[in-house]
Amino acid sequence: MTAVAPLFSDPYRQRFAAFMTNRREPDAIARLRRTAFDRFTALGLPARQQEAWRLTDLSALQAIAFQQPADAVVDAEVLPALDTPAHRLVFVNGRFAPKLSRLHALPNQALVASLGQALLTHPEWVEPYLDRLPGLENHAFAALNTAFWEDGAFIGLPHGTVVDAPIHLVFYATGNDSAVHPRLLLALEDGAQATVVVEYRGAGRYLNAPIAELQLGAGAVLDYHQVQEESLQAFHLGGVRVQQGRDSQAHLHLLSIGAQLARTDLEALLDGEGAHCSLNGLTLVRDTQFSDIHIRVEHARPRGTSEQIFKSVLDGKAHTVFDGMIHVCQHAQKTDARQANRNLLLSKQAHANANPRLEILADDVKCGHGSSTGFLDPDAEFYLRARGIPAAQARALLVHAFANDSLNRIRLTPLRERLARVLADHLALDIMEAE
Amino acid sequence: MLDIRNLHVTVEGREILKGIDLVIHPGETHAIMGPNGSGKSTLANVIAGREGYTVTGGEILFDGKNLLEMDPETRACEGLFLAFQYPVEIPGVANLYFLKAAVNAVRKYRGEPPVDAMDFWELVNERMALVKMDESMLKRSVNEGFSGGEKKRNEVFQMAVLQPRFAVMDETDSGLDIDALKVVADGVNALRGPERGFLVITHYQRLLDYIVPDHVHVLVNGKIVRSGGKDLAMELEKQGYALYNEEPGRARRAA
Repeated sequence: MTAVAPLFSDPYRQRFAAFMTNRREPDAIARLRRTAFDRFTALGLPARQQEAWRLTDLSALQAIAFQQPADAVVDAEVLPALDTPAHRLVFVNGRFAPKLSRLHALPNQALVASLGQALLTHPEWVEPYLDRLPGLENHAFAALNTAFWEDGAFIGLPHGTVVDAPIHLVFYATGNDSAVHPRLLLALEDGAQATVVVEYRGAGRYLNAPIAELQLGAGAVLDYHQVQEESLQAFHLGGVRVQQGRDSQAHLHLLSIGAQLARTDLEALLDGEGAHCSLNGLTLVRDTQFSDIHIRVEHARPRGTSEQIFKSVLDGKAHTVFDGMIHVCQHAQKTDARQANRNLLLSKQAHANANPRLEILADDVKCGHGSSTGFLDPDAEFYLRARGIPAAQARALLVHAFANDSLNRIRLTPLRERLARVLADHLALDIMEAE
Repeated sequence: MLDIRNLHVTVEGREILKGIDLVIHPGETHAIMGPNGSGKSTLANVIAGREGYTVTGGEILFDGKNLLEMDPETRACEGLFLAFQYPVEIPGVANLYFLKAAVNAVRKYRGEPPVDAMDFWELVNERMALVKMDESMLKRSVNEGFSGGEKKRNEVFQMAVLQPRFAVMDETDSGLDIDALKVVADGVNALRGPERGFLVITHYQRLLDYIVPDHVHVLVNGKIVRSGGKDLAMELEKQGYALYNEEPGRARRAA
């Protein structure tokens, strides 16, 4: 085990002691927190000597003594909205903000609530799911989240329940070197269906270290979107665990635009026959931003399919890392697993690392992966300019085409349209003019 | 309207064009014929402003303005059009979107407001019929998955929508069957008029049966070795380029 950096751990120990004082929650949860904090203490913050963290430089993060966040009020104007009726839960500094939230009627027995409330009203629902999914066992920020989460969202849909309106979860942080550890638990029982949009935003400097646990029963269908538009001073270190039952479908979209340093570790376990997992990632970074995605898709049962497409657009001195593992267990015959990573460099100082990996223990599978990194096609740029389109606009059009391919995979129209505008703004491109 | 004077061009240090003189007036269609590697496409690319070509001598004036000082988009906005020999595939940019962006870029350059949506749609429909293009090609990405003939028709379609004052057709006939060739030629002929000039670059005389030029020039080894009327093309068809090519193959290597 790596030695714990004293600068970081001692304040954390003090913070944890203070945090645990006067908490009113079931003993089981308190035990879970203490165990997790011990695990964090044993793990320490990830060090670059660890292979999985070799390219993630946390020194800027380690130099800051993060604190428990203060209560804060934010204006509804700064929060992202979906242009469609949605079940909306807003969290400010990791705490539920009921006045900014809006829940509509749900089908019988379905529960969408803040995690804190759900734990009070339906502990028998929540406890079996909290920190139960495999994956991220050695992830220090996952341990830290289990120790420190104050609130988050619980989505529980019983057998066959379909919630049509998107469930919109907005996490906003207000800076001041606070550390926020929101938790999302989602349990779709057999045949349940949901569309979830998770948005991370904030102002100033803070650490947001969210963990999402997504469990899909047999035949369940989940469209999950994670839109990371943190403040450019922020640190975002998140984790997503997915466990899928037989014939379930998880469509996971990860967008990463903000934060000075962002990393998401996602582990998906296809634990039922015929499960399908699609992963669609788009990262837009510039200046000195660093953005890192670590994926592990584990095919544990036969006939599973997975498809990963991760794209990055890098400008300035930005740096991205894509590390993607497809692991096919011995009995997972007839697995079909694909992975693609495409990086577009807009500057000679930008840097993209790609590490696609396959581990195949079964003998009757189809697996493929590919990675490419390059600059804009000068022939395409000239072609557009030769038709009168100015150079800057020509480049923006080409970048837009590259990135918009990722957005087109999003089925939730109001989100896709909003993100198209975000992309256009990012590229200073007036896409509406030519529509 | 296009005035090329003693143009010398090198590519990676090798001289490809060795003193070209060519004057094209409004309403005229000129053809440049020549063997592979004679410098035909270099001339087209230098006129359009592609990078990678160094002009070491001479000048090109477009309506009296120094063309070589303009970047490619300015040349286009001034009314110059290059129909590409190899149109580029641009995945993710819809043909119609691209065309509207181009039309509006030219309009902006002229100080005009963006094109009215209905007017644009009418123009597009009319011009699509001219080159017998299917409407579905508008929604597809620019040239992506287009056949050779579709790509060339798309070039002529773009030209028909943008209505340039001067167009360079760079081997627009290459890779076309006779039906596609007729469609492309009809498209070009429909645009010919007293105000518009064309420079048609081709290896083969066949295209000139359909786009009948006013003048024909023979380009060999970076120089115009002969100029004449439309009959010159027929003569070349019979005799080939061997008469003019004192050092066969040399220019090809240079290109």
